[in-house]
Amino acid sequence: MTSVHQFVPTLAPRDAVGGHYLAVRDALRDAGYSSEIYAFEAKDAYKKLALPFRSFEGGRPGEATWLVYHSSIGSPVADFVLGRREPVIVDYHNITPSSFFARWEPYVAGQLAVGRRQLAKLAVRAELGLADSAYNARELHELDYERVAVVPILFDTSSLGATEPDPALLDRLRAAKNRGGADWLFVGRISPNKAQHDLVKAFAAYREHRDPQARLHLVGGTSSHAYVTALEKFVTALELDDAVEITGAVSEEAKHAYYEAADLFVICSEHEGFCVPLLEAMHHRVPIVAYAAAAVPETLGTGGLCLPVKDPLTVAAAAARVIGDAGLRAALTAAGTARLADFDLASSRERLVAAVRGVVGPA
Amino acid sequence: MSEPVVDLQNVRREIEAEVRARRATGEYPPGFDSKLDELFARFSPPEASDDFDAAVERAEEAVAIDLVIPVASNKPGIGLFKRVVAKLIGWYHAFIVQQVSALGAAITHAVRLLGMRVDQIERSAGHSERARVESARVPTARDDATWNDAVVRALDACRGRVAVCEAGDGALLRAVVHAGLDAYGVEPRFDLADGAIATGLEVRIDDAVGHLRSVAPGELEAVVLRGCVERLPVGEVLDLVDLATARLAPGGRLVIASLSPAGWGRGRTEIEADLAPGRPLHAATWTDLFTARGFEVVTSEQFATNAPITELPATHPDASTLNHALARISAELFGPDAYVVAGRLTRA
Repeated sequence: MTSVHQFVPTLAPRDAVGGHYLAVRDALRDAGYSSEIYAFEAKDAYKKLALPFRSFEGGRPGEATWLVYHSSIGSPVADFVLGRREPVIVDYHNITPSSFFARWEPYVAGQLAVGRRQLAKLAVRAELGLADSAYNARELHELDYERVAVVPILFDTSSLGATEPDPALLDRLRAAKNRGGADWLFVGRISPNKAQHDLVKAFAAYREHRDPQARLHLVGGTSSHAYVTALEKFVTALELDDAVEITGAVSEEAKHAYYEAADLFVICSEHEGFCVPLLEAMHHRVPIVAYAAAAVPETLGTGGLCLPVKDPLTVAAAAARVIGDAGLRAALTAAGTARLADFDLASSRERLVAAVRGVVGPA
Repeated sequence: MSEPVVDLQNVRREIEAEVRARRATGEYPPGFDSKLDELFARFSPPEASDDFDAAVERAEEAVAIDLVIPVASNKPGIGLFKRVVAKLIGWYHAFIVQQVSALGAAITHAVRLLGMRVDQIERSAGHSERARVESARVPTARDDATWNDAVVRALDACRGRVAVCEAGDGALLRAVVHAGLDAYGVEPRFDLADGAIATGLEVRIDDAVGHLRSVAPGELEAVVLRGCVERLPVGEVLDLVDLATARLAPGGRLVIASLSPAGWGRGRTEIEADLAPGRPLHAATWTDLFTARGFEVVTSEQFATNAPITELPATHPDASTLNHALARISAELFGPDAYVVAGRLTRA
């Protein structure tokens, strides 16, 4: 039996990439390959789903063994894989350019820069590069990866309906909505590359010129304490403390409640390698207004309103248009639902297995 | 029931038109965006600064490593354990801290000395960043209407989006829009941009490089480069051209509207030319650059921005001789000092 084992920096629940690793493992096993996950660290409920990466000693004698390295940040796992003799597949989820973090979190910037260097080194070893998006694939080509296949992140969209919204939170959000004002939502880590400060600017313009009772919910943990501190001070200086909620990391149930209550999903991010929250918004039939940067236009397709600029007044005007135009809203949510079908887990699994089989051979 | 279908491109245009109209009526005050930018910048940490001295100061602060070992704990017994460990390793900890701090201080001192040397070199060799700051203070001396006709001719039959970078006060952009082209401007100076926006033009407040980076590859039918190509250093001009080329659709056009080196620094551009870090290129150089990048040169027009000296009437007894001399003086003083060079991208 041929083995195709995954090597990952971190395996954690409530993380789209973490779910991808498990889905890849299942897809490979279903295709007849032997497959385990080896990680630098595995967290919380996923602790027992991965083996320590240093415990990998190679495949059984006479058994073909391949290593799939998932690249998203600098990691000693990459150096370990580079030091092995087995053929390698690199699954690239994009590494945020370190320039976004250099000013805010120099240590994180260093890790990201290390990740990019490791990705470049892996090019000579990689028999295949897998990319979540054509945007990511372009970066692999630029690093001289010879063979690259685009396979969307394996994301079980049907799991989005598996949790019930947090009832207490949903009640609170609905009570606020009953008092008037629209609810803007963004889901994603508070991070310089996601540019939540630009979102706050647009929201300030919207409150000032369109809807003084509107609310903005920024849902997600943080990748930079310095950035979130600056963001909080910015919100206070704009006298928006009562209108902007920075939630921190939340449960799936709470996230579901925020999507249920949202009138609009707005994203002003500068850099995304794929952007799973767009799929979540599509699933919850929340219309999307997005700034067209990095892989966002590609993931969004025609499933939302993509803007070529993100100056606050234009984003605010776009939000007002979508919220105030029932026909446009219906069209955008319908288009979102249609776009979501393109990321159907079964077809993405087939694409992944076909790409892997193309280099590894049959199980 | 089938869901309604909408033309999102049209929705985007309506939104942009609405914003332009609200800006034009003053409902959206000039400088609204920049004030928000400045406010957020106030909360950026010191290390987020581009200022060299602030960055070194931050490094010097970070060099001071805490000698006191933290021993507090929420868990019973762990605090005591930490205190014991701190006691046991205290001397070694201090020993290492002193060495690491000394190393850090030596490095930051060396960086400071290096900074001073770079300052000296910049002062003696010409400090492009200072020149850039100083030239930004000087009101730009431009009358872009000079290029109107030639640029409109160069854009003939363009059907897609046209970006005019820089748009200045909007004179050239207005001519392009009046010619029926789907054009917008890019202008980094708030006062000029706000003035143009107030007249109903679509202008993005950004510099040419920053804006073109945000545009998807192949999205533009044409890019007009004006103003910035006169002031930028050659290396930055080449980067800008490559960036603009990457944003053009197959068959797209790149149009350069510039003063010539002969015209740069004469008359109203004297101060700007003295302080600018770069200078305009010759029209022939653009032709060469275009050819090297897979463009077919479709326009190369040179013209004078000043009227020639008025000739004597033919009835004057010495008209023939003097007019010949005047024509030569005119050509010398007021000859072609501006040009438009346009290329069509022939490769995908």
